[in-house]
Amino acid sequence: MLNSLLSIAVDLTLITLVLALAAFGLAIVYGLVGVINMGHGALLTLGAYLTWQATAWQIPFPLAVLFAACGVCVIGLIFEHLVIRHFYERPFDTLLLTWAFFMIVTEVIKIVFGTDLRTVSNPLPGAIDLGGVRVPVYRATVALIAVGVIGATAWLFYRTSLGIRIRGLIQNREVAGLLGLNISLTYKIVFGIGAFMAGLAGGLISPMLSIDPYIGNVYLVRSFFVVLVGGMGQLLSGTLIGSFFTGGSETLFALFSSQAVAQTAVFALAILILRFRPNGILKNK
Amino acid sequence: MSHANSTIKRRPRAAHFGGENAAAFALLALLVVAPFVAGDYIAYILPQYMLYGLLAVSLVMLWGVVGIVSFGQAAFFAIGAYAMGLCMGQSDLGFNSGYAGLASGALAGGLLAGVTGWFLFSAGVKATYFVLITLALSIITEQVAVSQSQLTGGFNGMFVNRMALSPFEGGAIAGDIALYFFVLGVVAVVYALLRWLMASSFGTVLAGVRENEDRLTALGYRIDQYKTLAFALSGAIAGLAGALYATTASFVSPSLAGVLFSTQVVVWVAIGGRSSLLGGLVGAMVVATASNYLSATMPQYWQLILGVAFMLVIIFFKDGFAGMFARLGQRLRPREVS
Repeated sequence: MLNSLLSIAVDLTLITLVLALAAFGLAIVYGLVGVINMGHGALLTLGAYLTWQATAWQIPFPLAVLFAACGVCVIGLIFEHLVIRHFYERPFDTLLLTWAFFMIVTEVIKIVFGTDLRTVSNPLPGAIDLGGVRVPVYRATVALIAVGVIGATAWLFYRTSLGIRIRGLIQNREVAGLLGLNISLTYKIVFGIGAFMAGLAGGLISPMLSIDPYIGNVYLVRSFFVVLVGGMGQLLSGTLIGSFFTGGSETLFALFSSQAVAQTAVFALAILILRFRPNGILKNK
Repeated sequence: MSHANSTIKRRPRAAHFGGENAAAFALLALLVVAPFVAGDYIAYILPQYMLYGLLAVSLVMLWGVVGIVSFGQAAFFAIGAYAMGLCMGQSDLGFNSGYAGLASGALAGGLLAGVTGWFLFSAGVKATYFVLITLALSIITEQVAVSQSQLTGGFNGMFVNRMALSPFEGGAIAGDIALYFFVLGVVAVVYALLRWLMASSFGTVLAGVRENEDRLTALGYRIDQYKTLAFALSGAIAGLAGALYATTASFVSPSLAGVLFSTQVVVWVAIGGRSSLLGGLVGAMVVATASNYLSATMPQYWQLILGVAFMLVIIFFKDGFAGMFARLGQRLRPREVS
């Protein structure tokens, strides 16, 4: 009994942290510059494919993931520079535009990589024994990386001058602009970081599943729930709590019923929370 | 243009669409002769595209009139389609199961949209959140359709018989031409009713919601109720279109609710013209026809082209092709002296 509770707790922690990693790029872009990046899912997929490509070139896995994250970041920045930066004032149009971006990236992935399933071999096979519970080494590592990445971002936002600039921008755009802050550059940096995170997450997730051009879709929807449930602007605590809620309740429901029923239940719960706490579970209006 | 004197400006962006009536009649005439001129395949395939058109119309009345975008129209379409499939599967209803399917399809779509809409609008959920939730609705519907295979046939989909057009049980199953005109009739009637409704005081309030929610609230309108009604109606139309589609195409699969198809609907409407019901209808029919031919000749690039076209429309031509034609028509028309 205790053992199975522990195993559920470990499962929950791993799922929460992996999901937080997947959602983090979306949360950053949405929370800081107010753009709901519908392309996030496609960027995740792209990150997974680039990682596959790099490992196929015999590049060691950690470098492959870094290569993928940087590649996705560049694609994101190009899109931001060509299109999105003209639309920050019109959040609804950015939603449609990033959706078009999603379609285009997905189709380009299909053209370049084909639709066959790809697999990235697990760089850290095996499991460690944690008080009778077997924990896959790779997933545990990814969870630790997620903690590290989120911690590093917290440091960036609360302990560096770039962080002060970004926070100043969220608090008051006009004053930040009057104080000589380069708004468009800051936005670009934030969008780039978001894309980088999506690529990083896609790369790190790639050994956990078989890669097809649509793997990002599921993560896109889950990431939205994370951000909606956690509340926008609540970058760190919101993402973690949202992931815990979304991933956790899906795991719990899946214990008692099928995966599809579990996802439907989570969906219904997320809508309920959105209905009664429109600003996320932490904020009361 | 008889509405020019109303106090709230009716559908301002669409106000120039005076040519819409003429264009609608031209299209109707074209569709009436099409099956006789263009042959059997057209008579078989065109009804499906008309129903895509009806689905697009259900989105135009949200996006163009009320200003809400739903990515969930495919969900209502699929639910309508499955409702039709389930009704047609019952042999002993005592009356024509096809009409029962149409009614339950519209009802199921309308109910789901109404409940979701009421729930979200009464809380004042933001337009962007609404898009995300409706998108999730489509994805969940697809998953449910896949997983509940004892009802829906799962991945393999579900075969649906052609419906009989006689209202009594035991009528002859409709042939291609009969079904063609049945579908054309339904699409034309729903379109005409919607045009009328959008020009009525109800439609005026809906347009007001798009233009200035705060002012309408100040005037005492319960805008959440109007939005809910509009969304329910839109869901019912999408459900009806789906139900009729199921019996026309004889096949339903979970992908009808999927991400790809929900996106398609938004793309059709964006390209055709979001502020014109006819623009959406024609946009869907043209893009779906083009998709059919081009996805055979260049399957990889067609979706890409569509994505790029969608992006360009959002950036440069807010009103799509209907808007372009309307502006062209206005330029050609002699200027009125004011």
